[in-house]
Amino acid sequence: MKTYLAQRLGIAALTLFGMSVVIFVLLRIAPGDIVDILFSTGGYVNPSERAAIEKELGLDKPIWLQYVDWLRNIATGDLGKSYRYDLPAWEIIKPLFPVTLELAILSMIVAVVLGVPTGVISAVRQDTTLDYILRVLSLAGLAMPSFWLGMVIILALVAWIGWIPPMTYVPARENFKLHFIQFALPALAVGYRSSALIMRITRSALLEVMREDYIRTARAKGQGERTVIWRHALKNAILPVVTVIGIEFAFLIGGLIVTETVFNLPGVARFLVQAIAWRDYPIVQTLVMFTAAIVIFSNLAVDMLYGVLDPRVRYGGG
Amino acid sequence: MASWHFAVAVWTALAVLALYPAGSALAQTPKPGGHLNVMLREDLPQGFAVHETATVSSSFPSMPCFNNLVIFDQLKRQESLDTLVGELAEKWSWQDNYRNLVFFLRKDVKWHDGKPFTSKDVKYTFDVVREAPDAPAKLRINPRKDWYANVEAIETPDASTVVFHLKRPQPSLLLMFASGYTPIYAAHVPPASYRTACMGTGPFKLKEWRKGEYVDYVKNPDYFIKGRPYLDTIRYLVIENRGTRMSALQSGKLDVSFPGEMTKTISEQIKKAVPQMVVTTVGQTVSDNIIMNVKKPPFDNLKVRLAVSYAIDRRGLIQAVHQGGAVLGAALPPKPWGIWGIGEQGLLALPGYGKPADEKAKAKKIMSELGYSPEKPLKVEIGTRAIAIYVDMASFVINELKQVGIEATLKQVESAQWHPMATRGDYQIGANLTGLGLDDPDANFFENYACGSPRNYSQYCNEQVMKMIEAQSQEVNNQKRLELVLALQKKLEEDAPRPILDWRLDYFSNWPYVHNMIPQNNIYNFGRMQDVWRDK
Repeated sequence: MKTYLAQRLGIAALTLFGMSVVIFVLLRIAPGDIVDILFSTGGYVNPSERAAIEKELGLDKPIWLQYVDWLRNIATGDLGKSYRYDLPAWEIIKPLFPVTLELAILSMIVAVVLGVPTGVISAVRQDTTLDYILRVLSLAGLAMPSFWLGMVIILALVAWIGWIPPMTYVPARENFKLHFIQFALPALAVGYRSSALIMRITRSALLEVMREDYIRTARAKGQGERTVIWRHALKNAILPVVTVIGIEFAFLIGGLIVTETVFNLPGVARFLVQAIAWRDYPIVQTLVMFTAAIVIFSNLAVDMLYGVLDPRVRYGGG
Repeated sequence: MASWHFAVAVWTALAVLALYPAGSALAQTPKPGGHLNVMLREDLPQGFAVHETATVSSSFPSMPCFNNLVIFDQLKRQESLDTLVGELAEKWSWQDNYRNLVFFLRKDVKWHDGKPFTSKDVKYTFDVVREAPDAPAKLRINPRKDWYANVEAIETPDASTVVFHLKRPQPSLLLMFASGYTPIYAAHVPPASYRTACMGTGPFKLKEWRKGEYVDYVKNPDYFIKGRPYLDTIRYLVIENRGTRMSALQSGKLDVSFPGEMTKTISEQIKKAVPQMVVTTVGQTVSDNIIMNVKKPPFDNLKVRLAVSYAIDRRGLIQAVHQGGAVLGAALPPKPWGIWGIGEQGLLALPGYGKPADEKAKAKKIMSELGYSPEKPLKVEIGTRAIAIYVDMASFVINELKQVGIEATLKQVESAQWHPMATRGDYQIGANLTGLGLDDPDANFFENYACGSPRNYSQYCNEQVMKMIEAQSQEVNNQKRLELVLALQKKLEEDAPRPILDWRLDYFSNWPYVHNMIPQNNIYNFGRMQDVWRDK
């Protein structure tokens, strides 16, 4: 187990290193840089002023040297300074993570609460009217982008009751009710889509398990249908569902761009897009690396969870 | 009985007459206090460093923090020399036949940190902006240096007097001082500090700038105009999604829209949903135009440029792209949206403004003389910024050009690359938008048409035009200056380095309980907020 964990951590470190190279190079391949953007807001370019800014920001150095400087700074805990805001990168991005994490977790809760029971019902009532209705609803969830659903929710609210959720972040300690409303609506929009995926995976995994001999044995032993499904069948069908939940959660950390924009939530994804548009390298690099770390470690957590859920799963050489 | 009725009617009429003015005055009496939520479509690109930027996204939300020497009356829609009022300057005086401009400053003004405001702050600001040889600091980028190219020296005889010595007479210099782009910086803080904070003398103090979220202001209790501002607090909310912005305005989460944000269609939708919403139509001083690189073939040929200008049906563009939310005009916006533009009748004589079929026939004839036709077209690449307001216009133009024998392929250029590309002249033809910081010929001509100006994207340089620009700039008689300006606009359209297609209108919207929020015919020069109040 320890060896396996060490191997996985080693792979995680290598992946992060690879990510650092990829994001660093990709950003510099993209046309234009922060100096172009700054002049763009002035509507002109002055070569001497341009050179002075490049020097000030260290953009005049060779790319490899910029990369080495960046890694060296990270090693000393310095994430750099935002080109756009002239402030330490960490100071800017620190408040963003709790917002995105909260939204992602709430969305996943909505997805699981909606997806798993409906998947089970759909499998148990296979080929009934209820099954068809649930499958249509799940297909609709997959077909509708969450940002579109979010926009529809906002437009419907403003048209019907002349109200929309708060447009600035309301911390829970200030006003829990408003805070909850602010997150519940985007979580519903995002969670619905994820629930559709979870529902379909749950249904197909459960249908497969329900045909196993041990399920027939459980029934033959006279166990109630509820016990058979929830204790025996679902427990064995849950592994692929957990995998999907892990992947979806990781995706949401960086994939909430438009939802955060539509609901005006100051999260990581929305800010990342702004930072890319501004070629704010320190901010983009830091956000991407953090997101990559979360993705890697949430995958690792899911893998670890397999052992808990299925005693047959063993880690390491054995 | 009749006399009884007559008496009642007379007394009722008298009572109404007696009450009406009082009631009216009562309704208009400003109420101090309250909070205002104002729309922002993006975060402040350069913070409050207004002298380092040329976008309304920075200037508008910075206005409450600052003061100018003079300003366009914030309660009037039109801006001109006649609507100038003093701000940090109590009085001003032209001397030596418009060669020296003397400002007499207020003595009761303090910076937000309590330090006194003096003439040194004024000299500091303008020495930095004009990059004087002994300037005490340097701006990172300096988009309006050219505005002050005619300033030779600035003197401060005492703490409350500033003298601007000019190289030649320039009556309209006073207008530059009134722009939203011309706040006075504090000499005791570095210019770079304005990128993250705001040290001003204005009616509101910066409380917090939450990056990407909002800018919060609180009333400045030491403001030099007693009893102002009326509001206690203002919040500028950044909402990047347009649909969400409009929903926020409609639901009352926002009280006021953003300058230049409301199109005709959107304002009509909002008005339909919220009939009490106050929608004011004003000019934006932003034009759609075609830039043609006169240094490169085929647009180094005047005939080709004229063919392009003749080919584009401006009225069709206004209807198709703006749904009627723009007006015809040459290099300066026409009345009533501006004061210097050529009127509709005058435009008819210029290329591209006549009947579309006739104008297209002229374009075809020129192209045919040059050996091109719709069947054998001249192939060019038209560049534009990869954002909808540019691309929509470019698409319309491409279709128009195709009809006269010019086949233009669209090259969408990312925002970061657009201005560098245009400044370098690294293009053939482009679909462009130009905003004027001021509705003034100097601000426009020196910036967009003068030889060597970095924003003269067409690379156009005409000695005769330069003389005309200089002549109108020095003319002290307003009527004579107008005649020179009209002739200059005519000449520019005939040379067609940058044919103007239309001037955009704004449908500025606010809830009826917001008073004294008067949009001007220029998106850059209003929003000081000192007189704004709300009765809700």
